[in-house]
Amino acid sequence: MQRRDFIKLSAITGATAALDGCGQPDVQLIRFIPEEELTPGVATWKPSICTLCPAGCGTLVKVMEGDAEVIRNGKLGLMKMGLANKVEGNPKHPVSQGKLCPRGQAMLQVTYHPDRIKHPLKRTGPRGSGQFQEISWDEAIKELVAKLQELQAAKQQASLAFLTKPLRGQGRELIERFLGAYGAPPPVMFELFDESVLRRANALSFGRPQLPTLDLARSNYVLSFGADFLGTWNSPVAQSIAYGQMRQGRPGQRGKFVMVEPRLSQTGANADEWIYARPATEGALALGLAHVIIREKLRRPEGAGRAGDLIPGWLEGREEFPPEKIEMQTGVPTATIVRLAREMATHPPAVAVAGDAPLAQTNGLRTALAVNALNALLGSVEQPGGILFTPLPKLDGTASGHENSGLEGAYPAFSRLASRILEPYGMSSGVFSGSPRNAQPPKAKPQPLKALFLYEANPALLTPADVPEILSKVPFIASFGSFVDETSVHADLILPDHSPLESWLDDIPESGTRLAVVSLAAPAVRPLHNTRAMPDTLLEIAHQLGQEVSKALPWKTYEEMLKEAYGGLWKQTSSIEATKADEFWAQIREQGGWWSSEGLAPSTRALKLEYSFGSLLKAEFYEEEHNFPFHFLPYPSQLLYDGSLAHLPWLQEAPDPLSTAMWGTWLEINPQTAARMGIAQGDLVEVTSADGKLQAPALLSPGIAPDVVAMPVGQGHNQYTRYATSRGANPVKILHPLVEHETGSLAWAATRVKISKIGEGKLALFGAELREHPQEHR
Amino acid sequence: MDPKIQNPKSKMQWAMVVDLDRCTGCEACVVACHAENNIPTVGEEQATIGRAMHWMRVERYYEGEFPDVRVKFQPVFCQQCDAAPCEPVCPTYASYHTTEGLNGQVYNRCIGTRYCANACPYNVRFFNFYNPVWEKPLHLQLNPDVSVREVGVMEKCTFCVQRIKAAEIAAKAEKRELKDGDVQPACAQSCPPKALVFGDLNDPKSEVSRLAGSNRATRLLEELGTKPSVIYLRRESWNDGKES
Repeated sequence: MQRRDFIKLSAITGATAALDGCGQPDVQLIRFIPEEELTPGVATWKPSICTLCPAGCGTLVKVMEGDAEVIRNGKLGLMKMGLANKVEGNPKHPVSQGKLCPRGQAMLQVTYHPDRIKHPLKRTGPRGSGQFQEISWDEAIKELVAKLQELQAAKQQASLAFLTKPLRGQGRELIERFLGAYGAPPPVMFELFDESVLRRANALSFGRPQLPTLDLARSNYVLSFGADFLGTWNSPVAQSIAYGQMRQGRPGQRGKFVMVEPRLSQTGANADEWIYARPATEGALALGLAHVIIREKLRRPEGAGRAGDLIPGWLEGREEFPPEKIEMQTGVPTATIVRLAREMATHPPAVAVAGDAPLAQTNGLRTALAVNALNALLGSVEQPGGILFTPLPKLDGTASGHENSGLEGAYPAFSRLASRILEPYGMSSGVFSGSPRNAQPPKAKPQPLKALFLYEANPALLTPADVPEILSKVPFIASFGSFVDETSVHADLILPDHSPLESWLDDIPESGTRLAVVSLAAPAVRPLHNTRAMPDTLLEIAHQLGQEVSKALPWKTYEEMLKEAYGGLWKQTSSIEATKADEFWAQIREQGGWWSSEGLAPSTRALKLEYSFGSLLKAEFYEEEHNFPFHFLPYPSQLLYDGSLAHLPWLQEAPDPLSTAMWGTWLEINPQTAARMGIAQGDLVEVTSADGKLQAPALLSPGIAPDVVAMPVGQGHNQYTRYATSRGANPVKILHPLVEHETGSLAWAATRVKISKIGEGKLALFGAELREHPQEHR
Repeated sequence: MDPKIQNPKSKMQWAMVVDLDRCTGCEACVVACHAENNIPTVGEEQATIGRAMHWMRVERYYEGEFPDVRVKFQPVFCQQCDAAPCEPVCPTYASYHTTEGLNGQVYNRCIGTRYCANACPYNVRFFNFYNPVWEKPLHLQLNPDVSVREVGVMEKCTFCVQRIKAAEIAAKAEKRELKDGDVQPACAQSCPPKALVFGDLNDPKSEVSRLAGSNRATRLLEELGTKPSVIYLRRESWNDGKES
């Protein structure tokens, strides 16, 4: 048969329908000319930075050539391009040292997520309906600029708020400059697990408004008050590396680790000893230990210096706190307190650390100050094997930023969020009981917002307030995020960011290393969708606004801004030996950043406590024990963190370390408590607080105190991609909005609940489905 | 058919040491393994009925009752047994022993009898009950160095054989011997506390050989005679600085 005949025939009989592939759009896609040169099958490793938590680990991204569907000039087609297929720690980076946590490994799925926003969007349906239509970048920016000009014309610039996740480095500098030049207040940086209480405490005790670096590698004794330092707290990768060293890195010398917390966290699970002190009494325990150490003359109280001076009666050995009295408060036996105190004092270097739930109580600051004083008493501050403070890079140039870039200035997040965004809508004193005692009254009463910009902060998930209700009253909302979540679904306009792997990134880690570090990375891969990096979008908006705003932001691209900010570092001593600025810029990109042992110590200006420590450590809970017998402990999820990673299928299906649960939430209950209440593993339980209720399957765990129930934060999204939407429950929604008394930070561990069985639940446990213990009696 | 007959002298004996005193149970290895080896996620429904595929898992054991509770984490993955129960039961020779001491799995030969998974005492073999799905463009994350398995095929930890081969090729190209530490499986590469150490047990100077000589060394279900290539170092208790 001739070819011509075949075509004729098949046109008649429809035989082509049987030919596989001809009808597939994949095959019909046009091919674009590649924009980069790549050798097929050969991997290149490009430096990047993990942005999934505030630790700021340096990474390496494995990039190989592949075929991707991309849109260029409005046409869909196939293009050979570099694709990321593995993320590892950057061995040169002082924080990650070549290692990475499970969350950082999943960075790839952010870039290649099927529900990423692929182009600018404009709302078409009602607010919050999630109905958007695609618009062009020109239209989107034009609309945003028009809105900002409208506010300028009405002299209402101050009614613009920028709500973002905590940012450091030039990203934050850019937003602050933009808002400053425009005439709006500084950005509100919000995160649930922000540890602002500890920053404040360190500013008071040591003059260092930043999180500590734990020198575990050289410690012989580690006492943690709730800090999940191997899981999600502070700089977990750096801390885990050091922990391995503490355990087995020094022949014949194995450090002891004691954990004080109400529920054994993944970190606590590794402890040699678990101590349960009643919630919010951890500070009392720390002072009890200090009392014994001073009483037995193992250390001199003067040694604690300023951190001790903050605590009345310190020099006298806090006579009103003998261990017998501490036992009454904390429930920790006197003998244990005396033994721990002696062990700590006789096994130097010993270090104490507080974080997470104990600081998320209404007396959190005092707990942190008590632990700081104990540390100072042990001689562990700025000493090997103790806590250190990461120095900051000395930056010059016009874009240098302020010396505490990324540190205390933006915190405490929750009180800023409350005063700027929640309170103007009448959400203040009535809802947020106990406003911060030393809060400065705002210079001007914040006015209701006329416009709100959002960037990857999700208060609708992570505060107990009715955020959708508040957002419904804001006339204009724009989001720069990459995903539609329960906050950004209310946006009128979405200008989607590149994924981190597609962006210029910079960061100045606050902790996790003894060096001053600037992490810096060029894009590892080219953008897949019609997105733009948030900083570049802001620069474009500034340019179009003109006048003051464009003068304050003279750079055309974020890359230019970074070059100006960090290019001057080449004159300083560091691992990079460059004689010219250009040479330096190439090397800093290749290495993934700049680090030096010479840095700027953060300010040591003396913050004073303007009140006495009188009514020590009396905490408040809501509501009273009589009707709500259980302390309710939400905790950061090892895999989903605060829920911002719940959209990544690898992390949803990875088993939780302690429960082995996948794809859901659960309520942890002590088995004895459960037996008393007739609750079995997997039963559906209703958890009721004075502020709301939720349902979750019961998970019986011996690692939790009988009067505490716990639940991971991270699920319960009602809007967050196909993998996270309507999955599990959100414990934050039933919290009573108590705040830490002195800082205004949300006291997320101070709510009480009652529980009751209401039926059968469902748990996906990886451990449950394996056969009987594959090993016994080891 | 036995490859050992053709290559009687095997140079390498790949092995992994797992220091349970360093392991923190963080799951970094689990996610790293998924990323490296193109392991599919199966979704909540399949996961609930025990079909989640984790070549690497971290087992967790509780001991005692509140307040005297101790927890142990133990990463478990294919033990690459020298006398592997999975190999002789395979009717198609899909499971076979490589010259470097690995329990190979030839996906093309596998017809899905699942005899090997039944024979394995460690529960480390996973069956593809369905074709894997990567919702577009998640397929772009796939590692081109590792083949994707289809429905009806058994899969398991390979000690990241693609990384072993890549390191061997690189060493050969540079006309040198493999050095200790040249090969890092994804799990060991990611492990922050350095609980996982990989290397050649035939090299007496390697880190794994040194650690395998520890008095804490033990192997999983040794009494079955499977001769695993994974060596666990027992977790220690605090003994106040005294030698145990």
